[in-house]
Order: sequence, then structure tokens, then C-alpha cells
Amino acid sequence: MSKKRFVATTVEVEGRSETRVVEVPAFEPEPWTADTPLEIVGQCVPRMDAIEKVTGRAIYSADVARTGMQHAVIVRAPIAHGKITRIDTAKAMALPGVTAVLLRDDAEGIKYDGGQLFDPWIRHVGQPVAAVCASSRGVAERAARAIVVTTERLPHAVTIEAALRPDAPKVRKFGNTGKDSPRVEQRGDVGMGIKSADVVVRREYRTPTQLHTCMEPHGAVADWSGDKLTVWESTQGIFNTRNDLAKAFGLRQSQVRVIKDYMGGGFGAKNGASVAAYIASALSRKTGEPVRCVFDREGEQVDSGNRSATIQRVTLAAKKDGTLTAVAMEGEVMMGTGGWFAGPAKIYHEMYACPNVRTAETAVYTHTGAMASFRAPGHVEGAFALECAMDVLARELGLDPLQLRRKNFAKKDQEKNRPYSDKQLEACYEQGAQRFGWNTKPRQIGSEAAAEHVDRRAQRAAENARFRRGRGMASLCWGAGGGPPAYASVRLNPDGTVEVLTGTQDLGTGARTVLAQIAAEAIGANIAAVRTVLGDTETLPYTGNSWGSMTTASVGPAVRMAAEDAKTKLLDAASAIMGVPASELDCRNSVISARNGKTSEMTFAMIGEELGNVMILGAGSRGPNPDDTAIFAFGAQFAEVEVDIETGLVRVLRFVAAHDSGRIINPRLAESQLEGGILQGLGYALFEERSLDEATGVPLNASMHDYKIPTLSDLPRIEAFFVPGADTVANHTGAKGLAEPPIIGVAPAICNAVCDALGVDVSEIPLTPWRILSALRARPNAARSD
Amino acid sequence: MQLSVNGSKHDIDLKGHESLLEVLRGRLGLTGAKFSCGRGECGACTVLLREKDVTRPVYSCITVAAGCEGAQVTTIEGLGANGLHALQESFIAQDAVQCGYCTPGQILAAAALLSENPSPDEPAIRAALSGNLCRCGTYPRIVLAVQEAAQRMQKAK
Repeated sequence: MSKKRFVATTVEVEGRSETRVVEVPAFEPEPWTADTPLEIVGQCVPRMDAIEKVTGRAIYSADVARTGMQHAVIVRAPIAHGKITRIDTAKAMALPGVTAVLLRDDAEGIKYDGGQLFDPWIRHVGQPVAAVCASSRGVAERAARAIVVTTERLPHAVTIEAALRPDAPKVRKFGNTGKDSPRVEQRGDVGMGIKSADVVVRREYRTPTQLHTCMEPHGAVADWSGDKLTVWESTQGIFNTRNDLAKAFGLRQSQVRVIKDYMGGGFGAKNGASVAAYIASALSRKTGEPVRCVFDREGEQVDSGNRSATIQRVTLAAKKDGTLTAVAMEGEVMMGTGGWFAGPAKIYHEMYACPNVRTAETAVYTHTGAMASFRAPGHVEGAFALECAMDVLARELGLDPLQLRRKNFAKKDQEKNRPYSDKQLEACYEQGAQRFGWNTKPRQIGSEAAAEHVDRRAQRAAENARFRRGRGMASLCWGAGGGPPAYASVRLNPDGTVEVLTGTQDLGTGARTVLAQIAAEAIGANIAAVRTVLGDTETLPYTGNSWGSMTTASVGPAVRMAAEDAKTKLLDAASAIMGVPASELDCRNSVISARNGKTSEMTFAMIGEELGNVMILGAGSRGPNPDDTAIFAFGAQFAEVEVDIETGLVRVLRFVAAHDSGRIINPRLAESQLEGGILQGLGYALFEERSLDEATGVPLNASMHDYKIPTLSDLPRIEAFFVPGADTVANHTGAKGLAEPPIIGVAPAICNAVCDALGVDVSEIPLTPWRILSALRARPNAARSD
Repeated sequence: MQLSVNGSKHDIDLKGHESLLEVLRGRLGLTGAKFSCGRGECGACTVLLREKDVTRPVYSCITVAAGCEGAQVTTIEGLGANGLHALQESFIAQDAVQCGYCTPGQILAAAALLSENPSPDEPAIRAALSGNLCRCGTYPRIVLAVQEAAQRMQKAK
């Protein structure tokens, strides 16, 4: 084995670039190029755990039951801002079946929003103030209601505007804007860009607070036994969760075991130890019994993270031919009480070719629940404003919206002045437009196109119909290269079955299936004989969180390397058994045969039987990313809507999405991800908006009835697909991330279609009937004539 | 009380107004029905209730267990008594599953639909299943899966 060395590499996680020192793998397999003949990778292998899910056998964290298990319920603050002066637990403790109460003093060292769990300083409605556990959930709920919390109310600020007033009550000790705010990023000179432009458009856009609304609420079962803590947690990151718990409870990492088999959605809200896991663990320590703590729905909606609301003031400047000369955005981002500063700015720098770009964004803290990553955090919010403004610019210029975007195609990553590993956005535009029927014939830039655009609108307006149809589109990009560290083992059992062992998570994305396909391809096994084992910190090698569309591009190469390593050993063993040089042997469909075909074949099972318990064990790790290279996924999305101008109701009729994520390991599962992202984006565009009573700070729609996520009745015709490709520069599997990109362009594509239908600018989502009717009232003739 | 679940009878000493979901999950260990909203808004807890020859889907989280005496309850664990039900097969074939948390409820709501209407058109499927939420967004595939199962069941007759 060659000498190992460590190098620095850059990894992009949720829009943040991180530099890490990583080990260079002992060997890197040759990249699978677009022309490499692959038999299992690229096939629609059925989801391997689907049978567990359709039969109810899949055990989710909240399904885990332990002997003697107690049930915990969280007591939450009823006010938006204030101090706890007293907590009276006497009545609760007197109830039969109540075993313990957890208060501030029992929670020393446990984090909450960057502070302390059960802090007597209340900063949002729903903040945990205590917990109680009992022999049944019902008793624990009654006990929680019997705990009397006395508070002293203070003035609160639950909107961006309120928090920015000079006399606003403080949300954080340092104030209501982030220490790094405004965060300014720029290249070139926006002022010069505006001066040199023929057309300048300025608009203000607003996006709402979106709630993850996972079907499975945050929850955990903790079993503290002796000096060992075992936690079953619904999490996107078992190792993060383990490390969080070890730190909070002063345990060594080897004393904490975190298990996650199945989970009911995460979407960014479950990236470390949850409040439920901390509380269950602390109560298990206190009672000596296993404890289950699962959020109720209201707790889930108010205290498990959210997508930041934003205000974005956008300026776009361009030459007559559409060439962008300046892109600028100033805005505010609502953090709630904490979280991290995702911000909408990045896509302004990434999406289009433009020498002059400036963004300035301010993080604003409010007396509302903390934000958390939510599927493409920042880009979803930013793309809405940028892509709607691009349509306004197209109208001003009299250009086709797609033409304007193509005109400003970025040939390199201008933000960091580096090449892309690969970029198939042009193919996305081409194929998406063609499937949608967006008029792909090349248009003359200028008067003819303008005339045609206006004609089409005038014709529609002349119909003066109640139901107006419109079409819109949007572009998108997302850093989706994945990266190290990630490790995997692949082992061959004596009966010929193959197991992939890696400490990653399957959120419902299909990681179990996709990783098995990669291993089967690399070792030459029949896919039916391969199984992926994941989700256990004690027994499996490290991989990072399943966030940032990272899993396939991070863990996939490690799995492939482990399988190739196992294959080398397997062929060496087969060589000794079969008396044929290993270099003349190959594996396919779990059969080892000589390339010349002259000797007899042996199956994996036959080799395994010969070897007995002599192990074939392959090891793999994810190598560093290529230096000075931008690794992105791209897409173009198209929507057709119908608006009822009497009721203001918007229906999405059709949605076409063309995506570039390099090689697709399993098209069916990947398209499923696209559809899911599109539907979450549809909810964001049309219905989803946390609503608060400004007078009290109390959430008004913390239920699944009042907070509207899409139902089957809202489903449009969706055509979502990937353009063919393999990004061999990104990593040796050619695959890039794909789960977050599909949500990014949805809201702007839909909003642009609504603007097209009505001839009115709408600049705030969700596009509720009220907003549509208000926009029409503001320009009463708009829907009749342009 | 006596509760009939998936063809087996269980004697249960009910306490107060326990919900059917609590009884299924907590007492009988049948965790296929899921807790998600706890107030009949999402459908993750859907099970089938058969009374007087009528089968209907119910939200077990807001169904009082004591009221189910004399009825037959079917959960996802009891749906495919002899191997997989056509709907379970079609949900796998069409990949109408992502995280799977809502899946048992979706399948049981679809089973109730097909027992009433063996060949539903798409609007009927949308109407019957719009009370079962899926946050992963498997809706397009659920429609296909229900259509496929309906065809399989028609052919099998």
C-alpha cells in the first residue's frame, strides 16, 4: 500500500464552503465515464426497503419500545418574550404514574438555540421550559398540563420590521441583527454596471416562513444503562447526534450509541441531537428507565426549525440585447431566535454571467422559533426574488424569459473564478423547453420577440375569461459535489451475499438502494445478493450528515472503492482456488469466470464456501474534491398555471423540470426526489406560510389543518427528468447531488406564470387568493388589458 | 372490552377514552399505524373499520377505542394476510414510497376506496386520498399505484 498522506480539500455544505484536511485514499478507481458499460448503476432497481414500508414492518424511532419505558412530554412557554418567575410541579408529581420532572437544574450543559435548555429567559412561544415523564403518554400529558408556569411578560418583536425598530426589545444579548450583518459580497462595480445599462428594474420581494412539517415529528427513545447511553433518534446525522449527546452529558463518544433505522422525513430539520433526544436521555439518567420523547404536532410546528422569511430588494440592469450589467440585492433574513445565517444572496452571484454583483443581507433575530436548514436553504428564497426579477427584466426588454436566461449563461464559476466540473444547463433549457412546448424556435432578440410576447398577452386578455392561463420558468443551481470524509466497508459472506456497511442515513431518499447498486456494480454481484447496513454509530464506519444533497456523491465513491477493494481480494482468493491468474478473472452477476472463458466458472457462494470464515473485506473512503473546481447541479423548470380571477385561486396545471446532476444511479428513485421537491416548492409558492398573531406572538396555524401543505388534490401533471451525463471530474462515480435542486426554481416558475396570466407583478408568496385579488385590485384593469 | 384486530380478538382493559391508535400501538404493538398530527388532519394513522358489511377508513388517532367493539379493525400488518396485497405490490412497483411514514395510511385509504369502487378514475382517487398527507411528495406515484392495483385486482377476479 502506498504511503498515506493528508491534504486540504474544499467541500460545499448547504451553500457553505468548508475546507477540511482529509486522507488521500490508498487508491482511486478509474472514473465511470458516460461511455463505461454499466449494468446495475443506471437501472431502476426497486427501492430495497419498500417492502418493509408497505407492510408496516419498518420501525421508526417513535416505534421503538423498551421494557419499562417511560413517556416524556415537554412543557412549552405560552408567551413570546419574558421571564419565568416560578414553576410549580407539585400537582404534576402527585399524579399516579408520574416518575420524574426535568427542570433547568437537571439540564446543565444541554444546548438550545446556542444557549441553555430550559433557560428561564423565554424568547418564543413554544420554547421548552420543563419536561415530565410518566408510565404512559396520557398520564404525562395530564402532568404537563398540571405544571404551573408563572411568567413575567416583556415586550416582543415577532416580525422583521418590529425587530429592526430602534426601541425594539432585544432577542439576543448582542441585539437583533447578526454580528456579521450586513453580510456584503461583491464583485465588480454595481454603480458602473447600472450606468452602462439600457434598462434597470427594481423590485421588492417577500418570502414567508416555511415549516418543514415532517410527517414523523422529532422524537427519540433513550436508554441510559450503567455508563452507556443508547438513543434511537429520528435524525439526518447519527454521528452529529452522538457527538452532541456525548458533549452535553460529559460522556466519551464511545459511551454513546445512536441508531436510526427508518425516519419519517427530515428536510433539514433533523441535523443533530434534538431537544427530544436530550430530554429523553436526561430523564432516562434520572429515572433509570428507558424514556421515549416525541414532539406533539404543535411542538413540531413551533419548535423544530423553519425556512427563514426574507425581504429582498432586487436591482437588475441590462443592455438592450439582454446582457446583464449589474445584479444587486439588499435584504433582511428572519432568523427567529437562532439557527445559522443561510441567506438568499449566494444564487445572485452564481446563476448568471455578470461582472458587477453586490449583495448585502442582514440577519434579523425575532421572538419566534429558530430557523433550521430547509431543503436548499437560502437558494430557494434567493431564487424566488432573482428569477421573478429576471422575468420583469425580460418584459421590460421585450425578450422571451428563456432567451434572457440563455443570453446570460455563466461559462465558469464567476464568484471564485474557477471552471465547473461539468455543466449541462444548456441541455436542461433545451430539453425542458421542448417537453414543455415553450416555443424553442430561435427568436430574434428585440422587436419581433417583443411584439410576439405582447400579442400573445393581448390575445389572452381579449378573451376576458374568468380563468386565465399563464406560463413561467426559472433556472436553478446548487453546489452538489459532496465530499470527504466518508467511509465504507464491503464484506462477502460465506453464502455469497454482499453487505455494504456505512454509517450514513436513508431519509426516504433511497440511499440504501443506491449504495447497494454502486457496490453490486463495482464487485460484480447480482443486486439481489447485496444489502446496505446503515444508521448505527457503534458498528459502522463514519459518514457525515445526510444534508446538502451530499450522500450519493460523498458515500457513493467510498462504497465503490470498498467494493473494488473487496473484488481485488475476492479475485486473488478465486485465483488460488481456481488455479487461474487473478488478472484473467472477472466478476459478473455474482459469478467469477476467466476472461478467455476456457476454465469453469465459480459463483460467489462457491468461493465463499471454500473460504469458510476467511473474510473478504474491502475498505473504502471518499477522496478529496478536485482543486479549484466548482461542482454544481443545475436545472430549468417550467410551469403552466390557471388563475381564477374571481376567487383568486391559483392552480398549477403542468410542471416540467429538466435537471443536471451528473450520473443518475437509479432514475426512478431520482425522479421521485424531483417530484417531491417540486411538490414542496408548490406548497411554498401557493399555501405555506407560518402565521403569527403580532399582538401576542402566538402561532395561529401550528397544525396540519391550518398550515397547508399540498395534498393529492393539488397535484399538477409533473414531467421531471434528468439530462444524460456523468461528471467524471466531480468524483469517480460521476454522480452529483439531486435532492435539493428540484425545490429551488418552483416558486419563481409558478409566480412568473401567474404574472404572465394576469399581466400583474406579484412579488410576495405564497400566492394565496387574498394576495392575487389584492394584486388585481391594485391594478384593476390589468387582467383585462396589458 | 373485546377488540377484533386483523382477525384476532383481544380482551382489553381500557382506561378512559384511549384512542384506537394508542391501543394499537401501545397495547398491541402494531406500529404500522403512525402518530403524526394526533387530531385527524393527516391520515398517517388510518386503519380500516368494518361494521355491518361496510368497510371505511378511519383516523385511528381520533377514534375512541371503546366505540370499536363489535367492529373488525384491519391495520397494515393484517392487510396482506396471504402474502402481499395488490396495493402493497403496486406501491413497490411504482415506487409510491419515500420515507414510508404515511404509506400504511395511504395504502389502507386506497384499499377502502377499491372495496367501494373497484375501478376508480383519477378524480375519484384524488378525492379519496386527499385526506392522507405525504410530505415527501409521492402523490404522482400513489395515483399510478392505485390504478395499477385496481387493474390487477380486476384481472384476478
